[in-house]
Amino acid sequence: MFGKGLLEGLGITLKHAFEKDKTIQYPEERPYLQDRFRGCLAFDFPKCIACGLCTKACPNNVLSFETIKEEGAKKKKVQSYTIDLQYCLFCNLCVEVCPTNTLYFTHDFELSTYSRQDIKIVYHRPPELDLVVEGKEDESPGVKVELPDNSEAEAKRLKQIEAIKTVLGKNPQKSLSKILTSETDIAIMSALLSTDDKKLSKLAELLIDDRDKASKLAQAWVNKDKKDHSKEGCEQG
Amino acid sequence: MENLILCMAHALTSWLVSLGLSPWWADLILLTLQWTTIVMIITFNVLILIWLERKVAGFMQERLGPNRLGPFGLFQTIADTLKLLTKEDIIPARADKWIFMTAPMFFIIVAVLLYAVIPMGKDMAVVDLNVGLFYFISVGSLSTICILMAGWGSNNKWSLLGAMRSVAQMISYEIPLAFSLLGVVMIAGSLNLSAIVAAQHKLWFIILQPIAFVTYFIAATAELNRGPFDMPEAEQELTAGAYTEYTGMRWALFFLAEYTNLVAVSALASTLFLGGWLGPWLPSWIWIIIKTYMVMLIFMWLKWTFPRIRMDHLMSFSWKVLIPISLINIIITGAGIQFLRGMGW
Repeated sequence: MFGKGLLEGLGITLKHAFEKDKTIQYPEERPYLQDRFRGCLAFDFPKCIACGLCTKACPNNVLSFETIKEEGAKKKKVQSYTIDLQYCLFCNLCVEVCPTNTLYFTHDFELSTYSRQDIKIVYHRPPELDLVVEGKEDESPGVKVELPDNSEAEAKRLKQIEAIKTVLGKNPQKSLSKILTSETDIAIMSALLSTDDKKLSKLAELLIDDRDKASKLAQAWVNKDKKDHSKEGCEQG
Repeated sequence: MENLILCMAHALTSWLVSLGLSPWWADLILLTLQWTTIVMIITFNVLILIWLERKVAGFMQERLGPNRLGPFGLFQTIADTLKLLTKEDIIPARADKWIFMTAPMFFIIVAVLLYAVIPMGKDMAVVDLNVGLFYFISVGSLSTICILMAGWGSNNKWSLLGAMRSVAQMISYEIPLAFSLLGVVMIAGSLNLSAIVAAQHKLWFIILQPIAFVTYFIAATAELNRGPFDMPEAEQELTAGAYTEYTGMRWALFFLAEYTNLVAVSALASTLFLGGWLGPWLPSWIWIIIKTYMVMLIFMWLKWTFPRIRMDHLMSFSWKVLIPISLINIIITGAGIQFLRGMGW
């Protein structure tokens, strides 16, 4: 029929007129972002091992960092890390190349700033990182510390406790091996700590103040736990 | 409700006469008031229409359209108008100043003149002219002269090209437009618009004259310079056609006049083919508003669906398709009327 195409076109526009609109009212409604959306590039300071692969991978020289090497230490430490986001083309090469997943893309896409200086993102070395690794080299370092307004010594002690707590939470085997002897005991202890926060903080406190007491207490907890389990086993049997 | 507005008019005249004015003066004041009302309605209507057009276009493209200012974005057009009012009024140095300046004014005057004969309800035409339809067609075609004035006065190639296209289009489409209306006139036996409406109290003319309606619709779209026949202001080729050099309120006047013409042509379509103010339950003046808006929605629907047609296609479509069809329609209508008369109707 002549003019059928015209009617078809009218039908299409009419159909679309009653469909749901695709518009997202941006500041009020937020768009849905896929998991791998590349927003702002971010840096997870504690994970960085200062290998420099990211700076080599970057095609636009967006990334740069400063390192220090303390006397007697084997490894360099990152002092500050700079992401000059204005040159970033979000190519993902640095994220792919990073061996410790230090660099990652966030979902933050509102990157405009009022001045050129604000575009640069500079990460400075968080002070608690140095506190954690005191005397130890291979600890996975702590994260956030809440500082109460006590005297300095008290604050330092709390910081240490906090740091050890995180260490215990993340890598229990290594630190527990200093107070417990058998491997089964260590396994039981770490399981206990992961479930019980009170025990964790108690043990952390003792570890700083008195290591012998800590080991005794840990042994006692482990024994109690063993007993409970054997009881359960008997009842079940 | 039905006689609300008429009663208001009568009350006003009798009050004026009771004040000691002669009936002639009272009539003059009433006429002035009627015109003022029409102009106000037109302006207000255009505010709604522009909003409606943007909304319709938005929905068809799955957007939202204006939705920020006021409820559903209704006040958006008011904000736009205020912006246009505050804009600088630029007159090009080499322009033909007087023609350039008067063109939008004439355009809006011609557009408003069309409303004199349209019956906006039972006995509610401002002037109940016995050659109303003839008046409408002749005044309606005057608007092209204003566009030509604007195009010539601007001293700009886009403007002149747009204006000339508009004139060519008008000359081509005026013929099928008038011919399509002839069928209706032959059946109704009158050029008076109120009489034509009254002739439809049993059956709307869209049923008796469907071909005439389609022809009229297409020709009217071309007359209004609306899409898909908006060659005179095809922005991809001619910037804004005849309106290229206009700024601020002068440009707004053209816009106002275009939408005013749209309302007038839609009102005429509903008067001639859709039974005008005839309709059950509601007062007559509400019926014509409803029908006019329905027709305008169809105009918008067409505009936002079809791509712009090419100029030579536009011309050949008018001369090779529309005019023969409307001529045949007249012959068939005449033959039908003669046949039915012979049958003794």
